[in-house]
This record gives sequence, structure tokens and C-alpha cells, in this order.
Amino acid sequence: MLDVFNSFYGLIPVTIAQSLIVSFVVLGVMLPFRILNFPDLTSEGAFPLGGCVCGTLIAAGINPFLAVFVALLCGFAAGCTTAFIHLRFKINTLLAGILVMTMLYSINLRIMGRTNIPLFTYDTTFTLLAGPAANFAWVKIAIVGALIALVVAAMLYFFMSEKGTSMRAVGASPDMAEAQGINVSTATIIGVGAASALSATGGSIMVQTQGFADVNMGFGILINGLAALIIGEAITGRQTILRQILAPVVGSLIYYQLISFCLTLGLAPADLKFATGAFVLLMLALPNLRKSGGSSQIREKIRE
Amino acid sequence: MTDMLSVKDGTKIFYRGTQDERRALDGLNVTLKSGDFCIVIGSNGAGKSSFLNAVSGKLPLDSGRISIDGQDVTKLNAHRRAQFIARVFQDPMIGTAPTMTIGENMLLAELRGKPRGFSYGLTAARRARYSQQLAELNLGLENRLDMQVGLLSGGQRQSLSLVMAVSTHPKLLLLDEHTAALDPRTAKLVMDTTVRAVDELKLTTMMVTHNMEHAINYGNRIIMMDAGKVLVDIGPEEKRGITVPSLIDRFHTKSDAIALQGA
Repeated sequence: MLDVFNSFYGLIPVTIAQSLIVSFVVLGVMLPFRILNFPDLTSEGAFPLGGCVCGTLIAAGINPFLAVFVALLCGFAAGCTTAFIHLRFKINTLLAGILVMTMLYSINLRIMGRTNIPLFTYDTTFTLLAGPAANFAWVKIAIVGALIALVVAAMLYFFMSEKGTSMRAVGASPDMAEAQGINVSTATIIGVGAASALSATGGSIMVQTQGFADVNMGFGILINGLAALIIGEAITGRQTILRQILAPVVGSLIYYQLISFCLTLGLAPADLKFATGAFVLLMLALPNLRKSGGSSQIREKIRE
Repeated sequence: MTDMLSVKDGTKIFYRGTQDERRALDGLNVTLKSGDFCIVIGSNGAGKSSFLNAVSGKLPLDSGRISIDGQDVTKLNAHRRAQFIARVFQDPMIGTAPTMTIGENMLLAELRGKPRGFSYGLTAARRARYSQQLAELNLGLENRLDMQVGLLSGGQRQSLSLVMAVSTHPKLLLLDEHTAALDPRTAKLVMDTTVRAVDELKLTTMMVTHNMEHAINYGNRIIMMDAGKVLVDIGPEEKRGITVPSLIDRFHTKSDAIALQGA
């Protein structure tokens, strides 16, 4: 048993670094789902998109910072496409997301030209910032942690600004938002685009820390993100915009420690996705199990 | 006095060319003068809601023109027309953002039709102003700016919705059966607040209602709609002497006459 704790303890920094990177994706899952009331699956495709774009550019000798920025823009375009498909053709948001995500797989392959690009020999944003120390987990934590703190602060400020308040109104009550002179379509497209931009940014950071870009990376990232979001919300609550924006980061930090703990306890990696899925299902079903037949907001949101 | 609202030959046909074709608005002509408080009545399917939605921009007309304060708005969609129009919905759940606070809802209303920037929204100055505006309701909402609107009762939400609508002095106030979902006591409270605000601010108002008492007691004009047209238009002089039975009587005589003509 002591062995288990020792190996779990040893993995904590690596897991923190990973969870901080994934918290970009969790923020990208939270924004459409909770703030815009637009359940969106684009993240599942935007995450590898960001990784593939960034990896390809770095391998082509482009400045890694520029590569991350281009990845972010590509993610934004992917999210905008999903929102546009939903708004223009009245296709269900989830289906629109699946369409974009599926098509992105081919696009990612085309961008890379092969299924995997190793990046070990190239400079990344981490080696540019920290030199040879870049491979230490705590250095990664410091760099990604600072970035995520910046993103959280920026999001918090935005959603309390005049523009951000109007974007939240679109999710809270579209009819009311329109009656208050808010362009619902524009706000939705920009919001969903920004969410996918976050996911793509997460992907672009991930490839730089793991040292390769792969077209299959991040399979199932969406469910992981959702699980992390639910855990985070259980801890921070959702009453204020601050709590809502902190939930993804807090949730991600805890969720990946839990996963790491389960793995060191001997859970087969093959069973991980089932365990995650079962966990998300349980969390979503819980309000209904408590008072069977009663209405639950989460259930209604999922059904839409 | 100038015309605040003018609808000319407004026509809207649903399911055109099919068996289910329905003329929601059939060459509708309505003009409201500045300061008019116009009550719109009519049976279900008469076109009241279509009329209101056509004015707000929610329902684009097939043909005809709409202008507000002399400006042609026919081609503007709903969120662009919001600079002239404030609206209170029938459903208290729709008119406010339930997951946002009272203060944030007031902010959304204050910036209706104005450019929204990246500056901080709920500044201290705004909070003070909102508290003052809400205090007039005597519901204690002024001390609860940070409370989520979803936690308020239907009547409180509808009162808030009303304050949000009138606080910006809109050129046109649209009330869509805004007391219908409330219990009689709360409905009276909201109605009293409505009348006070409309009088004080001299707002040009259009109120859809099924409540004949309201139609008699409030406003200076009654428009009766039927089959997407104005059936009867009762002006200020005539309205003073009208009673519920005479109103209902007039409604039936007129629609029976039309039915006979059609036969």
C-alpha cells in the first residue's frame, strides 16, 4: 500500500501540469455549455486541431509563440463554424459539433500530412522561456499556471464587462437578450468560437509538453472535460460568475489526481474511459435519483 | 402631435400556398400618436401577438411598412429595433435573465440599443442608480441587487421587467399580456406601477390584454382586432363612456356583421 502512495505522490507534479493544460479544454467545455446554454462537442476536434496546427508549424521552423497563436485562431474558426451551422441551418448544437469534429479529423490529417510529428528536437515555448529546465514538471506548472491564471482573470473581467454581460444574457434568456438589443447570433458565434479557441490552445500546449503531435490525441477529451467541470462545480458552486469560471480549473486539478490515484491503485488504463463515462452519468443522474420523477435542470439541459 | 408608431398595410401570411395558409396580419393599418396608451384586444388568433411581434421585429412582415417616430424600421431586425422599443413579456421567465443578478438585468436594460464596451459593467454609480429606480416599486428589490432573478416570485420578476423597460424612456413600450400570468392582487400591483410609469414618463404604449376591465379602465384608446385587421378603433372621447357590456356588445355586433357579409 505504501508503494501505491509513493508512486502516486511521485506523479503529483506531472499530473498537476497535465491538468492545468487540460483546464483550457474544460474552460472551453464550460463556456458554451454553462454560459451560452449551447451544449457543444467541437472541443473534441478543436483540441487535436490546435495540437496538429502547432506541431506542424513548429516542425516547419515557425516561432512556437506564433504557432500557438495560429492554433488558437484555427480553433476559433472551428467553433464559429459549429455555431454558424446551428444558427443558419437550425441543426441541433450537438449534431453540429459532431459534424465539425468529424470533418476536423480529416483536416488535421491533411495539415500534418502524416499521423504523428515528433517535436523533441525543436524549440518550444517552454524551452524558449525556461531553457534546459523546461522538462521539469514544476517549470511546466509555473508557465502553464501563470497562463491559465491570466486567462481566468481575463474571462472574469470580460464576463463582468458590458459586452460580457450581454453574452451571458444570450445564454440565460435569448428572447430577453434580443429585446435588450443584443445580437444573439453574433454573441453565440463569438462565444462558441472563443471556447474552441481555448480548447485548441490547450492542444497546442499539450503537444509541446509531450513532445509530439498526433492526429488521435485527445480522444475522449470532451468527456474528461465534462467530468472535471462537474467535479469543479460541485466544489465551487455556480452562483456567481467567479465560481463558474474557477470551476473548470479546480475540477481539472482534482479530476486528474483522482485518475492518477485510480491508475496507481491498479485500474487498467483500458477501463478508464468506462469509469469516466460511468462517473459523468452518475453525476448527471444524481439529482434524479434523489427525488425520482422530480425535474432537474441538468437533465433538461442535456435533453435540449 | 407626431405619429410615434405607424403600421401601413402590414401583412403576414403563415404557410403561404398550403392548405394551412393563415393570414396572421391582413393589411393592418394602425397609427399611434405620441403619448397614446393603446389597449389591443381581440379573441385568440385575431392577430394581437403577430401585431406586437411585427412591431418589435420578431416577426418580419411579408409586405407593408412600419415606422417609429418617423423612421422607417421595416427592414431592421428585432435587436436593432430595441433602441426604440422596450417590451414586457407575458411569461415572467422570458422577460428577465434568471441566472443573472437583479443588477446585471438592470444593466442589460440600461444598455438596450446602445453600444456595449469592454468597460466594467456594474459600477458603483450604476448600482446606486438602479437601487433608486427599484426603490419606487416598494418591493425591497433595491437591497438585493446581487440576488439572482430566478429566486424572485413571478410578480417581483414582472415588476423588475417593467422597471427595466421604462427606465430607459423608450419611444414605444410593448406590454404583451404582462399581468396575465399573475394572481389578481399581484396583477393589480404590476398594473398600477405600469400606469404610474406610463403617465409620469408620457410613454407611448401598446398593451395587449384579454382583461376587459383593464381595457376599460386604462389607456386612452382601444383597438379591437379580428382576422389580422383592426375591427374597431375607439378613440379618447368615445372611450370615456364605454363599459364592459357595451364593449363586448360592440365586438360581437361587428364580428357577426362581418360573418354575415362573408356568408
